[in-house]
Amino acid sequence: MSRLPVLYPEGHVPESPRVGGEDKSVPVLLSRLDESLGWFEKALSGTLGWARKNSIFQYPFVTACCGMEYMSAMAGRYDIARFGAEFPRFTPRQADLLMIVGTINVKQTPVLRRVYDQMCEPKWVMAFGVCASSGGFYDNYATVQGADRVIPVDVYVPGCPPRPEQVLDGLKILQEKIQSQRHRAATVEKAKDVG
Amino acid sequence: MAQALIDRVREKFAAAKGSSHRGDEVVTVERGDLVAVIAFLRNDSACDMKLLRQIAAVDLLTFAGETTGGGSLASIEAPAYATAHKPQVEPRYYVSYNLYSITKKQSLRVRVDLRSDDLKLPSIASLYKTADWWERYVYDMFGVVFEGHPDLRRLLMYPEFVGHPLRKDYPVRKRQPLVPELDFPDLVRGPGPGPGGAGVPMSQTHVGRKNVDPNTYD
Repeated sequence: MSRLPVLYPEGHVPESPRVGGEDKSVPVLLSRLDESLGWFEKALSGTLGWARKNSIFQYPFVTACCGMEYMSAMAGRYDIARFGAEFPRFTPRQADLLMIVGTINVKQTPVLRRVYDQMCEPKWVMAFGVCASSGGFYDNYATVQGADRVIPVDVYVPGCPPRPEQVLDGLKILQEKIQSQRHRAATVEKAKDVG
Repeated sequence: MAQALIDRVREKFAAAKGSSHRGDEVVTVERGDLVAVIAFLRNDSACDMKLLRQIAAVDLLTFAGETTGGGSLASIEAPAYATAHKPQVEPRYYVSYNLYSITKKQSLRVRVDLRSDDLKLPSIASLYKTADWWERYVYDMFGVVFEGHPDLRRLLMYPEFVGHPLRKDYPVRKRQPLVPELDFPDLVRGPGPGPGGAGVPMSQTHVGRKNVDPNTYD
C-alpha cells in the first residue's frame, strides 16, 4: 500500500495564494523560488516524518485492565519495539505518544490534561481500548465518555481489551498519519489549543 | 447455630427483630441500640464478631418488593416513570453491617432502617478500624451522616461533586466534569461537548434524544 504524503498547511508559514480555500490546496502561481522551497520543504517534511514515526517514545497512562494488554504488546512475543516504539518513558516530558490505557473517570481528568500539557511538541495521543475511546460500558456518573472529551486523540484502538495485534495496527495507522503530516525543522509548532 | 446467635442478641436487646433471608441471618435494630448491639456482638465471647466485612446502604425508592407492598423491582428502563409514580417509601434507606466471626465461623447482618428526613447514624469507627472508610463510603454514595466519625469526607468522589450518586433519584447520566469538555463531531455519541460541558445535558448529546430534563432520569 503506497501512500503519497499529503502536506496539510498549518502554522505561520508564508503560503502561495490558493484557489478554492485551504482544503483544495492548489497553488495558483508557482515561482521558481516557491517551487524549489516547496520541493525542499516536502523532502524535509518527509524525512522528519520518517524519523519521527520510527522513534515513537510512549507514555503509558495506564488506569485499568487494558494495562495487561499493553504489557503484552510491549513484551517479547508482540514486541512493539519492532515498529520503532522502543521505549516507554515514564515522564511525559520525554514522550511523543500518550497512550491512554484504560478508563478515564472524571476525577482523573485534571491529571490527564496536565500530563498532556507537559508533553513536548510534536505529540500524538492513542486511545487504547473502548473505555478510553468512548467510555465503554461505563455510562455512569463517574466516567468520562471517551478521552477525546478532554484532550484531542489521534488514533482509537477499540477492544475490551484490544488484542496486541490491534494495538500494533493502531500504531501503524498512527505512523502513516505522522508520515502524512507536515513537519518543519525550525519553526515553532503551535500546540492545538485545548481550552 | 445462627438462630442461636439471634436468640442471644434478643435476650440482651428485646427490641431487636430477627429474620433470615436465604440463609443469611439478619437482626434489625433501632438506631439508638446500634452501637450497643455491635459492641455486644464484638465483645461477647459466644459471638466474637471481630471482623466487620462491610457497611452497605440500600435506597428503596424504586424498589417495590415486600418493603413497599408493590410488585417486583422497578424497571431500570423506565426509571422516569418510577420516580414520577414512586410510592412513598418510608423508611426509604437502610444500612446494614455485615459482621463475621473468624473463630466461630458465623456471620450476622445488623440492619438499621432510616427515614429520608433523618439520615443520621452513630459512628462505630471506635469499635472497628475498618468502619472508618466504610462509613465514608456510605456517606459519599448515600449521604448518611455518621455522628462521631473522626473524619467524615467523601471517599471515592471528588470534593466538588454535588449530591450522592447511588441514591435512586440521582440522574443516571448526570455528570459533573472537572475539566471543560471539548467539542467534537461524533455520530454515535452525538455532536458537541459531553454531558455537563458547555451546559449541554447528556440527554441532548445523544442521537434522537432531545429536550429531556437533565435533572431527572433520561
